[in-house]
Amino acid sequence: MTRRYLGTALVLLLIAGTAGAQQVRVREEVLPNGLKLLMVERHDSPTVACGWVARVGSVNEAPGITGISHLFEHMMFKGTKTIGTSDFAKDAGILAQQDAIRAEMEKEYTLLREKARRGEISGNIYDPANMTPRLKDLKAEIEKLFAAEKEVIVKDELDQIYTREGGSSLNAFTTEDQTVYFITVPSNKLELWFWMESDRLANPVFREFYSERDVVREERRLRTESTPTGKFEEAFEAMFWESSPYSHPVVGWPSDVESISRSEAESYFATYYAPNNLTAAIVGDFDSGKALELAREYFGRIPTGKTAPPEMITDETPQLAEKRLLAEADTNPEVRVRFHAVPFNHAEMFAFELIADLLNKRTGRLYKALVEDQKVAAGEPSCDFRPMKYQGYLEADAEVKDGRRPEEVEASLVAELDKLAKEPVGEHELQKVKNQELANSFRRLQSNFYLMLQLLLYDSYDTWTFLNEGPKRVQAVTAADIQRVAQKYLTKENRNVATYLRKAGSAAEDPELAALPAEVKGMIKQQLAQIIQMTDRGKLEQAVTRMRQMSAKVPEEMKPAFDYLVKKAQGHLDSLPAAPEKGNAEQKTPPTGEKPKA
Amino acid sequence: MRRLNGTLAAAITLASAASAVATEIPARPERLNFPPLNFNVPNAAAMRVKLANGVPCYIAEDRMLPLVTVQVLLRGGQYLEPAGKEGLAELTGTVWRTGGAGKLEAKALDEELDFLAASLTASVRGVSGTVSLNLLSKDIDRGLSLLMDVLREPRFDEVRLAKAKEDMLSEMKRRNDETEAIEGRELDRLIYGTGYWLNRLATKASVDGITRDDLIAFHKRLANPANFVLAVAGDFDRAAMIAKLNATLGAWKASGPAVPQVPQPSESAKPGVYLVNKPDVNQGRVSIGHIGVKRPLADEFALSVANDILGGGGFTAWMMSRVRSDEGLAYSAYSRYSIGDVYPGVFRAFFQSKSSTCAQAAKLTTDLIAKIRTGTVTEKELVTSKNSFTETLPRTFESKLKTVGRFAQDELVGLSHDYWKNYRERVGAVTAADVAKAATAHIKPDQLIILVVGNIEEILKGHPDHPEARFEKLGPIVRLPLLDPMTLRPIEK
Repeated sequence: MTRRYLGTALVLLLIAGTAGAQQVRVREEVLPNGLKLLMVERHDSPTVACGWVARVGSVNEAPGITGISHLFEHMMFKGTKTIGTSDFAKDAGILAQQDAIRAEMEKEYTLLREKARRGEISGNIYDPANMTPRLKDLKAEIEKLFAAEKEVIVKDELDQIYTREGGSSLNAFTTEDQTVYFITVPSNKLELWFWMESDRLANPVFREFYSERDVVREERRLRTESTPTGKFEEAFEAMFWESSPYSHPVVGWPSDVESISRSEAESYFATYYAPNNLTAAIVGDFDSGKALELAREYFGRIPTGKTAPPEMITDETPQLAEKRLLAEADTNPEVRVRFHAVPFNHAEMFAFELIADLLNKRTGRLYKALVEDQKVAAGEPSCDFRPMKYQGYLEADAEVKDGRRPEEVEASLVAELDKLAKEPVGEHELQKVKNQELANSFRRLQSNFYLMLQLLLYDSYDTWTFLNEGPKRVQAVTAADIQRVAQKYLTKENRNVATYLRKAGSAAEDPELAALPAEVKGMIKQQLAQIIQMTDRGKLEQAVTRMRQMSAKVPEEMKPAFDYLVKKAQGHLDSLPAAPEKGNAEQKTPPTGEKPKA
Repeated sequence: MRRLNGTLAAAITLASAASAVATEIPARPERLNFPPLNFNVPNAAAMRVKLANGVPCYIAEDRMLPLVTVQVLLRGGQYLEPAGKEGLAELTGTVWRTGGAGKLEAKALDEELDFLAASLTASVRGVSGTVSLNLLSKDIDRGLSLLMDVLREPRFDEVRLAKAKEDMLSEMKRRNDETEAIEGRELDRLIYGTGYWLNRLATKASVDGITRDDLIAFHKRLANPANFVLAVAGDFDRAAMIAKLNATLGAWKASGPAVPQVPQPSESAKPGVYLVNKPDVNQGRVSIGHIGVKRPLADEFALSVANDILGGGGFTAWMMSRVRSDEGLAYSAYSRYSIGDVYPGVFRAFFQSKSSTCAQAAKLTTDLIAKIRTGTVTEKELVTSKNSFTETLPRTFESKLKTVGRFAQDELVGLSHDYWKNYRERVGAVTAADVAKAATAHIKPDQLIILVVGNIEEILKGHPDHPEARFEKLGPIVRLPLLDPMTLRPIEK
């Protein structure tokens, strides 16, 4: 057993003074079965934030089982041999029968996949319209078994027990790299947490396996399919990552989620949920000596995995050329520029963090350049550095201001990033972002729950000691480090650009246009669409001049509509580049970043 | 087998360093014995001081981290907007902080705060606002000085006002992009009536018409110590901090009376099924509810327990169990019964489901709504629900900042400190009969407004396996036009 006890039980947090970063006293213990336990005592309130992480996420999934990590996260709430059933023996029998029928159904789906490849059926193989008679029979049979299963299921008993005992915020989440399970319990109920969590790690039963897929499908509709940009964000990830398995969504490709079997889930569990692949963390009002005894007793009963989890070895292949995605969605026009960067705790990570800080906020470079000086962006442009376990990226985003073009926003974003490579950042500016990092390193420690979460995330990315080491390493970054990192990574070849345009027909109607009589509105819209497509400044200038000359002759009732048209034409003219170069006059994107209305 | 108590077990296991299993693990969690929980609701009166100018202030030392937070909560908000100036409250909140203060122009104020790594924010919402400072304790004197400048002498810089207006118009364009946003807006309009202040929303015309003078006048009404309650926590000596506050905020005399009371809503839409078409999504959002109640409410806790069992409690509640776990019709299915402090809250059961099963899930939900009134709550459900309120109470007071913030917010809306003192006792006294009685009094199946946002043609087709579930059977159908995001006028077909 590793024993690494820092400090005494009474001194929980040593404040190293405001000049330096906070050092959180974490007690680390590793059980003989390999499970790591991290403990921080804080006795302010009689609660304990508890959680554990499995070092597995969608990055560990092969084609065919994408989405299994997330589906599995749902299964961990379905109970155990004890919890969630009134008769485990009967339950197990029903589950085996379900699996047998499901295997038969899979054979039918294999046939349907062949038919779909040959074009003999259309649409999705899971559409009710494509159901074969055999599948219908099997479906009826398995539904009888679902009904039989319900008779022995004690619904959501895990939740019931925790709730009855005062547990709150029971939940879990899955990312590309980890799966985290957590709850807050009253401090007198810590043993309940050990009981419940060790039970679901030692004796899980994946009941309601096939019906839970419906829930996951709804989750996918909610987060990805029925949001304006969800589908495109998924597509951007798939484009950005080439060889890395980060390319597939955490929720999985629909085809895979539909066909994952319970036996695949069981072997996944045996590999990745073994105690040697887990870290647990508790933060709050408890005695770490007593908690360690409970951990030995309860978590100690989980057997070590038979085989070590396989290492994820697929590297991201270096990007050779810039990649672009152009999406039309129900959203304001926006540009996102993204570069491959470095993974979590990489030596260059800290410079990336400061680069993001230098660009962010109203005193940051993006706001000053894109909003105040060039007036091309709306809102507050932002930059996000996201280091993951195996890879990382830096992304700068800006919404296109009304009347400006996405190309202008992109050029400005790129110019600001280039500047980081060209000139070293000034001393005062660097100190400003370091001050912010320092204050935020304290702010991150305010809540027990969030501290517990950070310990789990850091430890599953690399090591929990990042909590104390990271803030110090940020303070050590120099202007030269930042310039070097910018030169190395923020290059054209390494760049990916997503441009969002507002989908035709989804834009708000201009109130001035809305106020016009219905009979002329259609005509005006048509005219506008033509004007908006004009990119030759000279021709448009002539047209506007002609229109102004005609103005006096326009009948009184048509005057408001005509004036509106002239105003819009002038506005479009003003937004065109002053002196287009020969051969470069054709612009593919309309000026407002909005597709002309049909 | 009974468990050895914790101390003894620990002593035994500590004695054997190898630490084999010291005691047998009980077969079920119900057999565990837990020590009593030591928790008392913090004493609000002891945290409360009155500053020299009469402003109530809840203050607590918290030396864990070198940070200080000073929150100024204030009464007043959107309900005070003059007609035609919709959006003024939000704009005032934004430019209050971004527009510079005292001697510092907008950019200079930003630069100084960012170099101090201080967070100084202002926002004005429906009936209240907040100006809040959080920074390193070493910088507290400068921070307080900047906070005072922002509170009393905001400059409302014209450039920043223009920027805030542009951003507001830009956000306005997104009003119909997400079905969730449409659902929230339409439900408020149906439940509180389109004329209620809550639904008098900004339009392009109203924002265009707002001037710097409007902001100055609106700020003047809100920035009056008569409207304030303070919450202060962090790394300081309490007496010294009170002295600092008295020398700054406490020296500011109230300028006239506090803001007037919040008006009450008059009329909801008629019960029925209201449909808003957003054809390009494959999942519908459904909300089922009616106007709620406000405090004081004698049966508040019985009602809260009723809602918790119906749909508030997540996986332990009927809705999640039936709609999600049993039928797989939704990822989330909840109910909320918000009990208002100054105006009535809303009762609302809601879920999202694929188009073909919205009606089926709605039918399940309305059946459960009817069931909660018939007194069929089991003893187990009752205990689970009551414990979910009483046993989690420590989390409300989990940190000093949360505690002073809670008490300050209560005083702002006139909630007595006895509310928390008596909380566990009042919840504990709720019986199954009380739950049915409160549900019958405050949940009204004949008043339900059902709002559906999604691909309406697909949603109305229903599911071939469930022909009995149809929206037509749940109430008269009313199709609502989508509103133009900039004018809020109905969009013509």
